[in-house]
Amino acid sequence: MALRAVWLIRHEPGTPLGGTVRFSRRYPTVEKRAKVFNGMTYVPVPEDGPFLRALLFQLRLLDDDKDFIERRDGCSHLNKTSIYGLSVGGEELWPVIAFLRDSMIYASVPLVEQALSPRPPLISISGVSQGLELLLGIQDFLYSSQKNDTDLHTKLSQLPDLLLQACPLGTLLDANLQNSLNSINSVSVTQPQKQPAWKVGAYKGKAQISISITETVKCMQYGKQDIADTWQVAGTVACKCDLEGVMPAVTISLSLPTNGSPLQDIIVHPCVTSLDSAILTSSSIDTMDDSAFSGPYKFPFTPPLESFNLCHYTSQVPVPPILGSYHMKEEGVQLKVTVNFKLHESVRNNFEVCEAHIPFYNRGPITHLEYKASFGQLEVFREKSLLVWIIGQKFPKSMEISLSGTLTFGVKGHNKQPFDHICIGNTAYIKLNFRIADYTLTGCYADQHSVQVFASGKPKISAYRKLISSDYYIWNSKAPAPVTYASLLP
Amino acid sequence: MGPLGREAWTQRLGAFRASPSAFLAGAEGEDLGRDLLSDLRSEKLSEQTKVSLLTLSLEYSDKLWPDAPAAEAAATSLLDTLVLLPTRPSALRRLLLLAATTALVSGDALGPTSGASCRLLPLLLGLASGRDLGRSFGTPSEQRHLQATACECLGELERCKPGLLAGALGMLRSLPGQTGPIQPVSLLLALVLHDTLVVQSRSGAGLQGLLVAEDFSTGSYPWDWTLAEEWDAHLKPQGPSWPTAGEEERGFPVLEPSPEDTRELKAAVAQLLDTSYLLTPVAQAQLLWLLGWALRGLRGQPPVLFKPQLVRLLGTAQLTLLHSVLSLKAAFGEALFTAQDEALLLRRLTLGAQHPALPSPTHLFYLHCILSFPENCPLGPEGEEAAPLLLGPQLCRGLMPSLLHDPMVLLARLHLLCLLCADDEEEEKDQTQGPQWFLQEVLAGLQQRAALDGGPRALATLCFQASYLVTNCLTRHSTVQTSLIRGLAQLYRARPSLAPHFVDLLDQVSPELREPLREVLLQEAVARPGESEALCWHLQMLAKVAEGATQSTTLSFLQAAAVHCTDWGLHQALLRVCRALLRTGGGDGLADLLQELARQLENADGRDHARLYYVLLSHLSSSKLGMALGPSLAAPALASSLMAENQGFSSALMVQETSAPIQLSVGPQQAKGPLPVLCLQVQALDAPVYSLELRFRVEGQLYEPLEAVHIPCLRPGQPAHPLYLLLQPRCPAPARLHVRALYSTSAGLTCHARLPPLSVNFADLFLPFPQLPKGSELRFFDELWNSCLPKGVESRVWCPLGPQGLEALVSQYLEPFVVLAQPPTTYLIAIRLPPASMLLLRLEKAQVDGVPVALRTDDWAVLPLVGDYLRGLAAH
Repeated sequence: MALRAVWLIRHEPGTPLGGTVRFSRRYPTVEKRAKVFNGMTYVPVPEDGPFLRALLFQLRLLDDDKDFIERRDGCSHLNKTSIYGLSVGGEELWPVIAFLRDSMIYASVPLVEQALSPRPPLISISGVSQGLELLLGIQDFLYSSQKNDTDLHTKLSQLPDLLLQACPLGTLLDANLQNSLNSINSVSVTQPQKQPAWKVGAYKGKAQISISITETVKCMQYGKQDIADTWQVAGTVACKCDLEGVMPAVTISLSLPTNGSPLQDIIVHPCVTSLDSAILTSSSIDTMDDSAFSGPYKFPFTPPLESFNLCHYTSQVPVPPILGSYHMKEEGVQLKVTVNFKLHESVRNNFEVCEAHIPFYNRGPITHLEYKASFGQLEVFREKSLLVWIIGQKFPKSMEISLSGTLTFGVKGHNKQPFDHICIGNTAYIKLNFRIADYTLTGCYADQHSVQVFASGKPKISAYRKLISSDYYIWNSKAPAPVTYASLLP
Repeated sequence: MGPLGREAWTQRLGAFRASPSAFLAGAEGEDLGRDLLSDLRSEKLSEQTKVSLLTLSLEYSDKLWPDAPAAEAAATSLLDTLVLLPTRPSALRRLLLLAATTALVSGDALGPTSGASCRLLPLLLGLASGRDLGRSFGTPSEQRHLQATACECLGELERCKPGLLAGALGMLRSLPGQTGPIQPVSLLLALVLHDTLVVQSRSGAGLQGLLVAEDFSTGSYPWDWTLAEEWDAHLKPQGPSWPTAGEEERGFPVLEPSPEDTRELKAAVAQLLDTSYLLTPVAQAQLLWLLGWALRGLRGQPPVLFKPQLVRLLGTAQLTLLHSVLSLKAAFGEALFTAQDEALLLRRLTLGAQHPALPSPTHLFYLHCILSFPENCPLGPEGEEAAPLLLGPQLCRGLMPSLLHDPMVLLARLHLLCLLCADDEEEEKDQTQGPQWFLQEVLAGLQQRAALDGGPRALATLCFQASYLVTNCLTRHSTVQTSLIRGLAQLYRARPSLAPHFVDLLDQVSPELREPLREVLLQEAVARPGESEALCWHLQMLAKVAEGATQSTTLSFLQAAAVHCTDWGLHQALLRVCRALLRTGGGDGLADLLQELARQLENADGRDHARLYYVLLSHLSSSKLGMALGPSLAAPALASSLMAENQGFSSALMVQETSAPIQLSVGPQQAKGPLPVLCLQVQALDAPVYSLELRFRVEGQLYEPLEAVHIPCLRPGQPAHPLYLLLQPRCPAPARLHVRALYSTSAGLTCHARLPPLSVNFADLFLPFPQLPKGSELRFFDELWNSCLPKGVESRVWCPLGPQGLEALVSQYLEPFVVLAQPPTTYLIAIRLPPASMLLLRLEKAQVDGVPVALRTDDWAVLPLVGDYLRGLAAH
């Protein structure tokens, strides 16, 4: 249940070492236990240099992809989790938890409280989830509200002190480093007895609650008879509760309009004190019918000081917000493209942003283009072989827009034009990026009047809604496209 | 050395962190630990610098103070520094407590005889219990802050020495209701409860009211180490661990506490669980692991206490929390989770494995948990990844792989898909859109991507890993296998440069797939002869897949290819294929090809090689060829390709130099017969030795050359094999025999070893004169005695006697040669020394410490040898 070591490594492709260790922390008392528990199979935690090399090799982050290397490329070396065995000094260090995010590698070695041969299943090692949680916590801390490199640098320099709070002796006390930072800063405040450990200090000031619901919509449209289009909405409810008192109790209800799509797959923040069984069991696995629980979804909780995600959900809306079609055909040296979009009438026609990216992979630069757009402007990035159709704030009254054109491409330059391993031949896609404020596809909203607060003072309650597209793809209907299993089901 | 400045320390710590081992090996290494401790008390250093010193000591105490005395001294010094701190609040107090704890544990100094331990423990317990420790430990408000740290330190000490705090259980039990932070106290109590219950149930003792003993002493009495030592004596430290198969078989020890203890225990656990939501999620998870595995071995403790927490926990999908619920599931099974509960847990897990709000590492971990799910009624063998029974195709719908996933997610989901297909006993016939069909689609997509010219190697690797996974899970699904093989053949056709991946796959997969795949790949490789960039890959592939049985096509391919093999690398590749053919059978066409190559190849190395193969082919039987060219034992890294020839080849055809496989020793002598015989004992050491031939060489040609000795077989552990070596001395002198062994190993290799030389002593050459008729001995001796002169010499030697006396000496060494004995006064001794000399001794009346010996010999050269021999007798 403890960690032997933690690392933070910056991946720097092209440099001689491939990266630098930005932070590392070892726990000698845990190492001591590892020696006893692992017995003959004990492998010591290496120093930073050898660890860095071994990890980058294992994660394929060294630039030596040219030759087949059995230890890495062998077909039986299957990695199905973010947990690796690293070859260090002729021995194998296992388990090493590691993942790469935004050119930072987060790594940790948890204690295994038994012999390592035969390898025990990961599910039986409590340190695995603890280690992963810490690494994800560090990642959250580094990248939440981070604006620039200076910010990141400041946060990195705080890590040693934060780990001393959050994990002083190798046993993790809190994966929320923001909370640890608060506890360092509020060291003079005396904690009352019933204060939760995840809430250090108390808020003083005007009572207010802000609730913002952000929905993202994913979509795959194929424009084919035998392949069904798929789309999914995922929502996040973020809260910030500025309330006085040690344990103010709050209940927030999410409601749906009469024709709204039920929320499913709901997961809640640990501060939620109880959960209706209907909320717990509503799942996207089951086929939808009218009997599905459609709210209101009540979440009683005691808020932490910082902003937090009260819950996440998914939903299956009956139609995608924008229906598209994409035809792309090669005619001699020319490429003919036709694109159509239709906004669904129920969707709020007021975008913050709406644009379609039309990339042409594995080809040369665009040398010639003729086009006709019924609406909006087209930006051409010749060298990148990319068209961006800027649709703007509103669809026209007809709700339908189209673009057609012919393109020719030059000779493929070396490493200048993007490579893609999906878009082979005429397989191609359009990616739609759009954002609509004050709107959710499910219709889900937080009713300000139904928010119950058991704390001194009546808080000001504000609520926000937003819809964002993510991975919204329209595939070329004239070529094969990567299908998901769901789109093949009758 | 005076205290270093801030800058100097920053530099020094930086240098240490860069490579601790290099720093410690350097000039400054030894002083670092000492300087660090002394500078902590320096008034010149800022608190910030001291914090960095202490942080370093927390991280590397095992390197700074590696042994118990150093750790003890360091901990004592740290505690002294703590006492000396001024009263005002200081960040150092917390760090000093942590550092002292770390030093004691990592240096193995914690124990009843350690002064620092006996100071630290009561101090920590005092702080943890919230008692005012006086102004020397800071202000009361700071002491309250240290309460959490003290609990953490105590927890760490307990983890490293379980049972240490068992005596303080009662006191700890009373803490959560009082002042102080809830999390550290709860975690510490849960830990001590776990350890105490486990040690008590293992040792068979009860709780003995430990839970209610309120008045624990913190300083006035010596610390109670008994439970910790009991643990040390019987058990390894015990984490809250998953059940292992062995444990289940043996039966988990069950503890039956007294009714009073049961009540108290229940109350304590209920209290901990009730307030658990006040803990951070990771701490809640630890609490649940500890309590779950503590209560597992208790009779009369229904796990229903945990039930109220489950819904709250399942709602979160937080990694640590859901993992701890799974640990409860593994600990209690049906007792806590009904079939419906199990289904719900599995649904939440499935949800967690794909929820868009969760990061990919979490998805992957949940996916692993699904395949290792602790089912109430598992069907398959334990420890093998399998899809749980309740996980039907419906639940898995969202967990299917897609080419858009990253490699790890794809492999994990592909594995699940394979398991689903494997469960699908009946192979789908007309179903075009079932899981099997989808699996083939995914594989086809992967193959298509791997075939991309110039694509990254990772894509190819992914394709082969997926193929391996599929063949492993679906050995018996012929449709999948057939389409996989077809796809792989197409992939090879499109991108022969993936040959190394194919070779690796052939090495790994089961024979059911290997054979058909090999055949298909062979056809693909030979189908495109002639000059092309892919030639080197085709040759590499053929070296793996070519076999004697299908030689004709391969040979014509090689013949065509030989023309285009213009550089050394291609020659070698070509010859490797020839070699593969040689190994699997050879043939007429091959001989022609080799001869042609031996003439035609451009470089000499290649020609030599080809000629060598030709010679081997024409001279060795096919079985010997197979062995000679079999897989190498070690890969030699030599420059010339001829030299670099596989070790299996050279070892089979050449004699290997090895260390001595047998032991050869000289046994007791038997002085009889016409010539001296050296009696040897031979024993095999580690491995059986066959057709052993021992060859001897006499140093200085003192004896006639010795015949080699043959032994058919020696096995280790068998009694020593006796060996009689007939010596034919050219002069009567001791000699050294050099011994070499030539033998075969059980693997059929011929080996050669030099054995340590054997010594033939002077006495080993002694032979008696023939037995004489009774009464004629004296006359015979006198005749001999007289015959020695004038050609020979006479001498007198003092032979020292040991404690055993003359009689014993004679019977031990000279018995066979005594002609006439008149104990204790006179012995007449006659010795034949081959080839044609003699030695006559008259032993006279023994004196206190020796016996005077008169001697004659007809060979003056032996005189010094005799002297040495006689003087050495007593020393034996």
